[in-house]
Amino acid sequence: MSKEVKLFLGPNHPGMHGNSSVHLYVEGDTVVRSRLVPGFLHRGFEKLMERRGWMQNLALIPRICVPEPDINEMVYAMAVEVLTGTEVPERAHWIRMIILELARIASHLMALGGVGGSTGLYTISHWTLADRDRILDIFEKITGARIYHMYIVPGGVRKDLPEGIESEIVELLDYIESRSDEFENLLLKNRIIRTRTEGLALLTREEALEIGVTGVGLRATGLPYDIRKIDPYARYDSVVFDIPTATEGDAFARFTLKYYEMMQSIRILRQVLEKMPAGPVNAKISSGSALRWRVPEGTVYTHIESSRGEYGYFVVSDGGERPYRINVRGASFPQGLYGVEKLLAGTRIEDVALWLTTMDFCPPEIDR
Amino acid sequence: MNSMNEILGEVTTIAGELSVKEVTARESIVSVEASRLNAVLELLKRRGFSHLSLITGVDRIKDGIFEVFYTLFRWETGETLLVKSSISRDEPVISTVMHLWPTARFYERDVHEFFGIVFDGNPDLKPLILENWKEMPPMRKDFDPQKYSNEHFPDRHYEAEFLAEGGDENE
Amino acid sequence: MSEERKSWEKVANMLRSRSLWMLYYCTGCGAIELPPTMTSRFDMERLGIGPMATPRQADILLITGYLSTKTLRRVIYSYEQMQSPKYIVGFGSCTLNGGIYYDSYATINKLDLYVPVDLYLAGCMPRPEAIVSGFTALMSKIDKGEANGWKEYQEKNDWYKRNQIEALGEVYVHDEFHE
Repeated sequence: MSKEVKLFLGPNHPGMHGNSSVHLYVEGDTVVRSRLVPGFLHRGFEKLMERRGWMQNLALIPRICVPEPDINEMVYAMAVEVLTGTEVPERAHWIRMIILELARIASHLMALGGVGGSTGLYTISHWTLADRDRILDIFEKITGARIYHMYIVPGGVRKDLPEGIESEIVELLDYIESRSDEFENLLLKNRIIRTRTEGLALLTREEALEIGVTGVGLRATGLPYDIRKIDPYARYDSVVFDIPTATEGDAFARFTLKYYEMMQSIRILRQVLEKMPAGPVNAKISSGSALRWRVPEGTVYTHIESSRGEYGYFVVSDGGERPYRINVRGASFPQGLYGVEKLLAGTRIEDVALWLTTMDFCPPEIDR
Repeated sequence: MNSMNEILGEVTTIAGELSVKEVTARESIVSVEASRLNAVLELLKRRGFSHLSLITGVDRIKDGIFEVFYTLFRWETGETLLVKSSISRDEPVISTVMHLWPTARFYERDVHEFFGIVFDGNPDLKPLILENWKEMPPMRKDFDPQKYSNEHFPDRHYEAEFLAEGGDENE
Repeated sequence: MSEERKSWEKVANMLRSRSLWMLYYCTGCGAIELPPTMTSRFDMERLGIGPMATPRQADILLITGYLSTKTLRRVIYSYEQMQSPKYIVGFGSCTLNGGIYYDSYATINKLDLYVPVDLYLAGCMPRPEAIVSGFTALMSKIDKGEANGWKEYQEKNDWYKRNQIEALGEVYVHDEFHE
């Protein structure tokens, strides 16, 4: 006769990464069954996007994914450009790459801080969040806001970079690289973190492909699958970078890969700042006022590589001034819902928060 | 590795006549009948399109049908296929694809909750995101969210404390 | 007796305002600006405010942004579990008038119909400097004895309950822990 106790790691929990709850059935200290309950952040985005014009949606869209809002603007702009057949000017592609890679570094820094918070070692989160704030200062100088930028628009970017920003970005990259020794000492060679995360949340290659995990979770099993190399967008095929992979497939491998990806992003940014040409940054989508754009009829699915995995929009247009249907594919949908049911059995209660942090779990992408 | 044209040729032999529309160089839309859908998806999975990105429902209220799209991606070459199939709006039933992709259980639950489409063979069609929802499925085109919001969630009324010369009256 | 009580209330308000514990519950998207406020760059702890894990020992409930109906039920549970005196800060424009989701079928439009609010911070979203200045305004309000939302909730309880049931249907949560 089993003695199962029902526990809920409810929405109001300091270890929960966001606002979502996990229902656990435990025996002693070990989890036997589990189930994720999403829906606390549901706003009905897909219905709201059908009621606003193509240009007005740009104010709504960044709020779907809170830690890294620029990916939403990028896939929306790519979808509208495919449907209207617009050609984006050369300089705009390179500026988009700067914004996307800076957003990727900021999101990885926040995820590493989350690992520190889940293990109780708060020095890590203080350091990474302070460094992330410097990136938000650069965003404020380029776009005008810290978190929700609304800078990447269909047709290019909203306006050109301000004077002297290139040298500031190079200064910031030098600063982050100079901290790499301290980060490695604190994160990768730290005995406490290694003991807690090695062997946790093991994912084999077959399981990852069956569940549909993308991003760092898939690369930690040995497959070098990255959408920037396989299905390139912007000008990622003109810069040189590596894709770090690992073979163990556990939590330690995953966040080590995040750290090395951050260093690769710095390498990409240095090349972009050298190779960027001059020129216009904006192309017109259709004649007339921007609030009355008409997009021709069609269906398209565009996706990019975000810091958590494959992020995509499915856009249907019927030739009018408003979208007919937009569906958002969040990167955490498969690994959050199916992964929690299948893989959480066998971990201890105190490791559940750490499991969720290293599995790239972000509730607003699931609930929309 | 077979090219896209060879694969589409094989699909035509199974599905009878087929309509293919190209969107970009690496993405195409394929329309099949609902009864041949599972055979087509199984063939595509065997030929390398093994990653299911998304299952989407679209409400075509003027034609009286629902369209269901399956987005498939092939990691080795970077190509995307959108497989489309139509069902009637009054009796929306379509078969499940859980035996090919286990994660489809959750995508289908999502589409069922928001459109009301029944996936035959999926044992788990309980509500996922909404709680205590008693109206019609909210993503259908005949549901008006503003009317629901005005009835259930009252707004704040602002008082105009002064009227500027030639200004508008506050609402 | 009542003179002693009044001067004791003054001293108590002064002490309460200088050592507030904030319930760390991220109810919406405004919560992304809370970690920079709590860590070393903007440092909320020099004002005496720190994060707390359980509702039983917290003083401030911060509603960061919009509230969907599913979260509102849990917020009402958490608010009723907190011990008096307790304060609520409405954070962001969505608590004022629905914000950018004014026509959504899942979010509420005016927060102080359901729980009593002591201070509102407008913005989408408020910067960390705005959060710090909002908290100093709350502290001076408590010092003067004007932040009495918790007393209002007890006196006008019927009115709040009627509004909650009209928006939510029922406040009781039906899942496997409450059957």
